[in-house]
Amino acid sequence: MRSFELICPAGNPAALRAAVDAGADAVYLGFRDETNARNFPGLNFSREDLAEGIAYAHARRVEVYVAINTYPQAGNLAPWHRAVDDAARLKADAVILADLGLLDYASRTHPGLRLHLSVQASAANAEAIRLYRDAFGVRRVVLPRVLTLPEIAQLNSEVEVETEVFVFGGLCPMAEGRCSLSSYATGLSPNRQGVCSPASHVRYEPRGKALASRLGDFTINVFGEGEQAGYPTLCKGRFVSGDSTAYLFEEPTSLNAMDLLPELKAAKVHALKIEGRQRGKAYIAHVVASYRKALDAFDKGMAVPKIDLEAVVEGGAQTTGAYKRAWR
Amino acid sequence: MHDRAVMAEDRVREFEVHLTRVGLGLAHRMGNGVGGVLLDRFLRLLAARHPRAFATLRGMRDARLLIDPVDAPAAVMLHVGPALCLRVCDRGAEADAAVRGPCSRLLDLMEGQIDGDALFFRRELTIEGDTALILELRNTLDGEEIDLLSDIATAAAPLRVALPVVRRNGWRLLELMDTARRLAPPPVRWGLAALERRVVGPQREA
Repeated sequence: MRSFELICPAGNPAALRAAVDAGADAVYLGFRDETNARNFPGLNFSREDLAEGIAYAHARRVEVYVAINTYPQAGNLAPWHRAVDDAARLKADAVILADLGLLDYASRTHPGLRLHLSVQASAANAEAIRLYRDAFGVRRVVLPRVLTLPEIAQLNSEVEVETEVFVFGGLCPMAEGRCSLSSYATGLSPNRQGVCSPASHVRYEPRGKALASRLGDFTINVFGEGEQAGYPTLCKGRFVSGDSTAYLFEEPTSLNAMDLLPELKAAKVHALKIEGRQRGKAYIAHVVASYRKALDAFDKGMAVPKIDLEAVVEGGAQTTGAYKRAWR
Repeated sequence: MHDRAVMAEDRVREFEVHLTRVGLGLAHRMGNGVGGVLLDRFLRLLAARHPRAFATLRGMRDARLLIDPVDAPAAVMLHVGPALCLRVCDRGAEADAAVRGPCSRLLDLMEGQIDGDALFFRRELTIEGDTALILELRNTLDGEEIDLLSDIATAAAPLRVALPVVRRNGWRLLELMDTARRLAPPPVRWGLAALERRVVGPQREA
């Protein structure tokens, strides 16, 4: 009996195979359009890709979850409804949804389809989670990355719904699903078009030995010679404020909760999620295999091995995020 | 045993990087006539092995992407879009986007053996120009299982048979060559170095 389910990202079919082969219990992915929050060029799955991916995963007893976690736009519901219908038709094991209307549609149209609540929905208290369960039959909730371990433990003692938490990858410091910074800079929304810092609006400029990153008309950061770089997101930008230049919202750093497995188990977390559908298959193979090794040791009651993942994280820096401290 | 296998793998990669640099140097000297014919054939080979990726590349809007292995004698220009083609060029050539990094890293990236974001964070890779174009190319190639030498070897039966043997024993061959180079009398050593410079060009720092 495994202590946790390990939920792993896949941005394309090769990444799915890498995640499955490296020891994922489930893989999450999205269609190649605005219905998922990682709508980047060259990424994601066609319907044929999904059918092949599900066949590959199911043959190895690995589940596939389809993220349809952006918000349908007024007067344009069809792409989101089609995504839910196709996920059900192709026998996905669950769909990960955020929008209330879409949850309603999925629960009425496909009563047998397992529903997970996306982190994008920002459900962070027992009342909200019970409502999603009672109204739509949601079976699992992906918790926002703004909760501390005691808060997660308290929540799990109050609700019977499975909870899933992020353990590795990029941190989104805004209340999940409510970020408007990228929309302000580019006119394109993470919540509607599925693009945070769309690549079409990103530019990198060498400035001597330094590197400047720009998003739309804004300079996000200037990395000095030898300094590790980060993603060009406004929330991780370095700005001049008063007399100082600093990261005002969050530093370019990645979540890594591998050392917190005992605490997460005590908090009765059901599933652990690795972030990074936009990352390459080499990253996925490396991170998933590392977590598999750690979880297998934990399941056997052995000490969790120290595994160095620093080479693959943003900015070369890691944090336990909100788990060990109150969100500021 | 594990360390020995990793070292052997590294040496084989070193051999492949050397071959790539030699190939780029030769293609640059041959110009777009003969060199272009060879590169067209190389691209057709890859397209036959990876039809899905090449359909995506042909479906992209017309654009030029400079791929610059900074420690090699020349760069390559990939024209994506319906008139997909690959040409060797100077590293200063004008393009819509450019990716620059050490030859070994670019090969690792193309074969999906390393994560592009991680390389970028560590500043081992620089990108300029149209970021969306670079991202689309990266994501398209990462969706494939590309093994450049193996892909090329499918073109010729003898290579197909020989490649696994070379890969298994390549490191021994490299060690023998290094030893031979060390033991050779100075004039022979200088001659070999001069020949290498003529083919590959002067070494640049990665």
